[in-house]
Parts: sequence; structure tokens; C-alpha cells
Amino acid sequence: MLKKELILKNPLRFIGKETQDILSEGGFGAVLARAGVGKTALLVQLALHTLLKGKYVLHISLDDPVNKISLWYKEVFRHLTQSYDAKNTNKLWEDLLPHRFIMTFKVEGFSVPKLEERLTDLKEQNIFSPQMVLIDGFHFNDTARTSLSDLKRLAKNHSLHVWFSVKTYRHEKSGPGGMPSSLLDVSDLFDIVIQLQPEGKKIHVMTLKGGPADSDRPALFLDPATMLVKDII
Amino acid sequence: MHRIYLKKHTVANEGFLFKKQKSTRTMKNAINKVRNIGISAHIDSGKTTLTERILFFTKRIHAMHDVKGKDGVGATMDSMDLEKERGITIASAATYCEWLGHEINIIDTPGHVDFTIEVERSLRVLDGAILVLCAVGGVQSQSITVDQQMKRYKVPCIAFVNKCDRSGANPFRVIDQLQEKLGHNAVPLQIPIGLEAAHQGVVDLVSMKAIYFAGANGENVRIENIPQDLLREAIQKREELIDAGSMFSDELTEAVLEEQEITEEMIISAVRMGTLTRQITPVFMGSAYKNKGVQPLLDAVTKLLPCPYDVKNEALDMDNDETPVTLSGELEKPFVALAFKLEEGQYGQLTYIRVYQGSLSKGDTIVNSRNGKKIKVGRVVRMHADQMEDIETIPAGYIGALFGIDCASGDTFVSPGLNLTMTSMFVPDPVISLAIIPNDNKSQINMSKALNRFSKEDPTFRTYVDDETKETIIQGMGELHLEVYVERMHREYTADVTTGQPRVAYRETITRKAEFDYTHKKQTGGAGQYGRVAGYMEPVNGTKFVFENKIVGGNIPTQFIASCEKGFRQSIVKGPKMEFPVTGIKVVINDGASHPVDSSEMAFVAAARGAFREGYYKAGPVIHEPIMKVAVETPSEFQGAVMGLLNQRRGIIVGSQDEGPLCVVEAQVPLAEMFGFSTVLRSSTQGRAQFTMELNSYKQVPKSIAEELAKTAEKEKKGK
Repeated sequence: MLKKELILKNPLRFIGKETQDILSEGGFGAVLARAGVGKTALLVQLALHTLLKGKYVLHISLDDPVNKISLWYKEVFRHLTQSYDAKNTNKLWEDLLPHRFIMTFKVEGFSVPKLEERLTDLKEQNIFSPQMVLIDGFHFNDTARTSLSDLKRLAKNHSLHVWFSVKTYRHEKSGPGGMPSSLLDVSDLFDIVIQLQPEGKKIHVMTLKGGPADSDRPALFLDPATMLVKDII
Repeated sequence: MHRIYLKKHTVANEGFLFKKQKSTRTMKNAINKVRNIGISAHIDSGKTTLTERILFFTKRIHAMHDVKGKDGVGATMDSMDLEKERGITIASAATYCEWLGHEINIIDTPGHVDFTIEVERSLRVLDGAILVLCAVGGVQSQSITVDQQMKRYKVPCIAFVNKCDRSGANPFRVIDQLQEKLGHNAVPLQIPIGLEAAHQGVVDLVSMKAIYFAGANGENVRIENIPQDLLREAIQKREELIDAGSMFSDELTEAVLEEQEITEEMIISAVRMGTLTRQITPVFMGSAYKNKGVQPLLDAVTKLLPCPYDVKNEALDMDNDETPVTLSGELEKPFVALAFKLEEGQYGQLTYIRVYQGSLSKGDTIVNSRNGKKIKVGRVVRMHADQMEDIETIPAGYIGALFGIDCASGDTFVSPGLNLTMTSMFVPDPVISLAIIPNDNKSQINMSKALNRFSKEDPTFRTYVDDETKETIIQGMGELHLEVYVERMHREYTADVTTGQPRVAYRETITRKAEFDYTHKKQTGGAGQYGRVAGYMEPVNGTKFVFENKIVGGNIPTQFIASCEKGFRQSIVKGPKMEFPVTGIKVVINDGASHPVDSSEMAFVAAARGAFREGYYKAGPVIHEPIMKVAVETPSEFQGAVMGLLNQRRGIIVGSQDEGPLCVVEAQVPLAEMFGFSTVLRSSTQGRAQFTMELNSYKQVPKSIAEELAKTAEKEKKGK
């Protein structure tokens, strides 16, 4: 009951098409923001939204250790359930846990072949088979295109979609459609690009690319106190 | 100057050696010349040998023994036979020594994960530590655990890369591991002169001199010029050292930039600054077993590690909403101390304390802030492994021990009128139990003596007698934890005991609200019994048992309410479902009935027990089991195999952390599945993986396992 309620009331549904996943198999999504604005918090909400639907999520972090990522999930889950006054959340949390797998790499130690090897290993042993992958801390540099193309192939082969966090900088100039320069060369690989834009005390959740076309969709915000996505603030 | 007179006594055939000594000595009390240090490390990296050598060079002992000594004496700090035989340190023995006018209090800490409460307690009272690492084995998983503990208590440390004489020794690889695996800014202050069999000494990069250790026990330190073949490396490493140090000293940076002479003091003071803030870990090296490198390490303890004044200690003000209060360390201020370890000797309890403020003298009256009890201090002593010296006073900054004080480990002692407590240390509940049966009468007596002592010394070790089987049950934190106590019973108390199979500490709880309405009626001759108890029970988080009385209008007379609570409390000791203790339950009574003649305390206890049984089965009872947080450190090529092993054991893999050639797999695994895991892990990874585990939480047992447990319980019942 609680699970259904959390899915139905979650404003994240406005990002994707009703009742469907935001991204299809092999699809790429990106969450853009400056440091500290809430990229990881939004990624974790996307993950929890998927976990609540009974799907499997692999969270890859190139910056933080496993413990820190676990803490993010706990905190976001706590805020999420509190905002709906949910009770007996322990059981739900325990049900979600086996559906999540955190993998951390050092930035220089991360490569697509290495990820593929780990993923195949997990699937072959029947330990874990994700439908969604989050990559937090990926470096969008000059060589990123090759890695991203390899990742695209991997995503298609393994029937999963991938969300990235992209760190933007104050001094960085934006290209057409507000796309930051680091993402310009590879933006064709992405189906949806969301930007977190702080404005006064509000953090706007803006869709730069993809997402539903209808204009009825309410404006979304990130609540700075809980880091949760809200449609009313 | 504050003067303290020492007496030393020796009495044979006692846990402690009292040696009558006519002469008295003065204990210097210059607080900036005091160092309270711990020696922490992975098992078998040689920390007990190092301590032994330190005590020899500081003239606290006059002969050296090895840990696994052929001479049958064993190292001084390993005071228990079992420790000597296994080559491991279990209890942290406290001792002190003097070096270059400094007084060094040393706590020897156990290295195995099952005894980490001891390590944590030690670190809590230390100002600095020596992290001993093996030049061959490097940073191992236990070093990671110990390092995390040091981080938690913000203990500054210096590293000693030991066993440089062993084949395969490579101190620079260990330094790399310190940087990569533990994230230390590890900076060598020495380089070795020869490695493996050719290890002769070290080059001191601060003074740029070669240090050799001559004499039968390496006691003659010979200082010479650096050998030509090492000069280039030494110059390069010195530059790296100055580079690292200049981050912490403007004076040093200026001297470098203006190409002035860089003095030894400049480097030492910069490195000390970095060390105190845990931003530099100075690395020393040598071989304790071959008596190389120990004296320079002692120099470093005096020069680089903090004195009690350098460390900020806080207590919580109980009268003021637990606001943190900084303790000044001044002798004139009221007394505050923490009891961090207890030991039961034949003359009573010995309580190790660390004084944080004020001072404690013989005859003083102090208060235990936990229970407000006033205590008159009889004897004040200072320890040297299993020998002790009587002293008059323990001033702030010192570690000492008291005799005959009844208290628990972790208690705070204060001057009367103060209401401060040092941060209370978390003591986890035991997760494993074992039945022990004495084989004869004498063993029975000795066993109870032993159990009484162990449970006072170690808060994670508990014991009780099972009402039904009449067996003595011991509980602890892991298989090895209990194993060591059983062996200690055998050795120290000659208690011959047989042990049962280790058992997991399961619990019962309820999952939903349920009502009860039970009448206890007995009228078969004599005085009758009558009591009716009605209400409901529901799950509650974070506590074992809550009882609430909502009776209005005296349906149950007030004098019987306590009996009702008693009845419910009796019921939760052994759950009706599987006879495991019941936790997380709230019982509310809101109705009932009594009889003017037949109602009694006994009747209401019985009624409450009946009511509990009635409600319990309707409340969806389930079994909970301890889930351990398991971290396996393995070479990357075995990552898949390790995950497979954890998966087979009903483990939920939380994640994997890639750390170059090694990776750490974190999982949550039921304790019941972890028996014998070390053997399986070793054989699946060619012995190259290691693991640590600690209690994470309690979770519901899956249905299939619960059924199995029920079957086993049924069988056992029939067997009784």
C-alpha cells in the first residue's frame, strides 16, 4: 500500500511519461548542477522511484565510498517516507535493499571493460541484474565520447538505462538550449537532460532536453531542506 | 614541583608482583613530558615484541623474551599464558616507562577483531599511537579497522614499519599502501640501510646520519655518515619530507624559499604540527625482533606525539542538557577521570583510570557520576604489565589504577559536587552463545570464579544459567571471543569444561497490534485465585519492552498493577513461539476485574502471563536473527568468488569498493550463516582474502529458516 502511494504521489513521474520509466533500454539521462546543489540527491530519488517499482538499481560512484552512498539512500528514503507520514517503513526499506547494489571505483580505476566484467560476473552468478545504472562522478572530458559510446552499447546489451551526474561550473559557458560546454559534444547520446538551477531560495528542476512535451506539467523544485523534488513549494 | 613517591613491592604466586623496595623515587610531573600512547596493529605484525624492546631499552625490564619464546617466559606485556602460547595479545596491559626525561604510558592493545572493544576503550584514553605495520604483509584488513577506530577518536599516530629483516620486506610499498588504502599522508623520516637479511640500520632523514645498532641487544647506537650508495636516495627523500613539512610551518617554507639553512628543529616542529592534526603520518622503520630502529622510534614518540595538553578532551555536563565542557587538565581544578578497563585480581578489582582534570590522591573521596555513589580511594597504583607500584597521586594527564573500587568499565569519576560524564562508550549486545558444562565438581567452582571475573572485565562477555537445562551459557561477540575465554578458564582456573555448539542469539517480536482479554480463575479447594486482564499489545521500535497502564475506575486495583507488569515481564524472557527473548513490544492494559477475596498478586501475575500468550499469537509473532556487517578485503581477481560466497550465505551485498589491486566487498549476512566462513574464504581465495564482521541489525528470519528452527526446537523439547 505504502509502496503504491509513494510511486503515485512522487512528482518525479512528471519527468517521464505517465506509468512508464523515464528512460527506455539503452537510454541515457543526465542531471546537471554545480557542486553541492543536489545532483546525488536527485539521482538517489530517481533510484528509489525505480526500486519502489521492484526493479534493480546499480549505483556506481567514482567519488564517495559505499558507506556514504548508503547514507544518501537512507536519508532520502527517510525524508520521502516522512513527507507522506508513512509508518512501518523499516519493512519497506529492508525489501528495497536487496534491489540496490553500490559499486565504487577510483576515477582513474573506472573503465567500461572493467564495469562490463563486474556486471557479467554478477549476472552469471545470479547475484544481481540491474535495470537501471547510476554513474555519479563520471568525468566529462575530451575522451568521454569513446567511453560513453561503449557504455551505450553495454546498456543496450544488458537491457538497462543509465543516469549520469554532470558537474557544471559557474564560469562555464552554455551552448544552445542551455547545454553546458562539457556536455555539448556528447549531448546527442542523451535522451533526457535535467538541470538543477538555484534561484534565490529555490532550486528549479529544469528539463533541457527530452521529457514530456505537454505544457500542463507542473514546475518542479528541489526542496533545499530535504533535497526532495516537489511540484509545489 | 608536584612530588609523588613511589613504592615497589613483590609477592610471589600472585597475579601481581609486589616487590618491597626501600628507596623511593620521585615521579616528575611536567605534563609536557608525558606521553600516553597505544601500540596498535594487525595481529602478528610484532607489536608485542616492539613493546618488549621498548621496555628493555627504557630499562623497565632487564631481559627480553619473545612472544612465542623458546625460553618459556614470553614477552612481558603478554601476561596471560594463553596470549603467550597463541602469540596474540588479548587484554590491554598498561605500563609506563621513561625515555629522554619523558614519561611514556603504554597501553598494549589486542589485534584481533573479536576483541575490538578493548582496542576502542584503549584508544579513547590515549593521546597518540604507534601504528605498527609489517614490512612484508603491509596494510591488512585489521589495520584498516584499527585505523578507522583511531580516526574516530582522532588519535594522532606515527607508523613503524617492522620486520624489515624478513624476506620480502619492502617498507616503501607499505608507505604506498598507507597512502592508498588508509588515505594517510605517510611521509618517511627514515630509509632502511639494507633490507631482509642485510638489514643493518636506518638513515635518519632529519639529521642526515646513518644509525646502526650494535651490542648483543642492539643497545649501543652508533651514528655514522650516510653510506655513499644511499646518499642520493636520502637527499631525495629528505626533500620530499621538507616539502610535506613546509605545509605546516611558515618558518620552514621561508627557509626553503630563501635557500637558508634548514635546521633539524624546523623539520621536527613542522612534522609535529602535521602529526598532531592527523595530516601527516611520519613513518619509521626497523626490526624490533633484531633490535633495530627502536630507540629512534622512542625519540620520535617524545618529539612528535602529543602530550596531554595538546589534546582537547571534553566531558558532558549532566546538569546542563549534556552540554560539552572542555576539560582543562589543570591540577587545581576539580577531578575528572574515566575508568577504561577493569581487571579482577585475587585482592579485588583493579580499575584502570585516565585522569583528565585535577588529581587523585590516596584517601580522596570521589563520586561515580553514573550512580552518584561516593567512593573513598584506598590504594593508588601504576601498572607495569603484571607488576605494580604504589603511588600517592595520579595527576591530570596520567594513566593509573585504583584498588577495590566497585564500578563498571566506562564509568566517570568526579570530585563531589561535579556532575560530568565522559562520553559513554557504546557496548553492543552479544550475538553468539555457547553452553558450557563443567566436567567435575572442582571445575564447577573454578568455572564460576572465572566467569565472574571475565564478565566484570569485559562488558561484551556475559553469562547466565538456563532455567530449564540448568546449563551455564556464555555469550559474546564471535566464535573466537568465546573460544579464548573457554581456554582461559582451562588454563588460568584449571576448569575442565565441555562446550556445546555455538548458538545464534535469535529474538522474537510481534508484527501487528492484537488485543487480549484473559481471566485467570482457580477455585479447586483452599484459597481461590481470580484476576482478569484486558488490553492490547503492539510493536514498538528501538526498545525491548514498554508497559502502559490505562486502567480507569479501579477495575484492577492499584496494588495489583505491578503484578500485571511482572507477569508480562516474565513472559518476554522466553517467547511463547520459540522460547527466544521477546523484544520490541508495547503492552497496554485498559480493563480488568478483581475479586475481593480471591484476587492476589500471584493471581494477577498468572493472569498477565495468560493474557500475554493470548495476545501474542494473534499479534503475528516472528523470529529475528542478528545480521552482521561483513567486509571482505580481497584481491580484485577473487571479487566474483567472494560475492558468490556471500550470496550463498543469504547475504545482501551492499556494495563493492575498488581500491586498486584490492577491493572490499561489503555485505549484510545472517550470523547463523557465518560459522566456518574463514575456512571457506581462505580456500576460495588462496588465503589472500580477509574479513571483519560486526553486528549490523536484527532482521526477520525467512519463513523456510523459521520452519527449520521450529523443527529443531521441537526435537530438542522431545529430547529433554
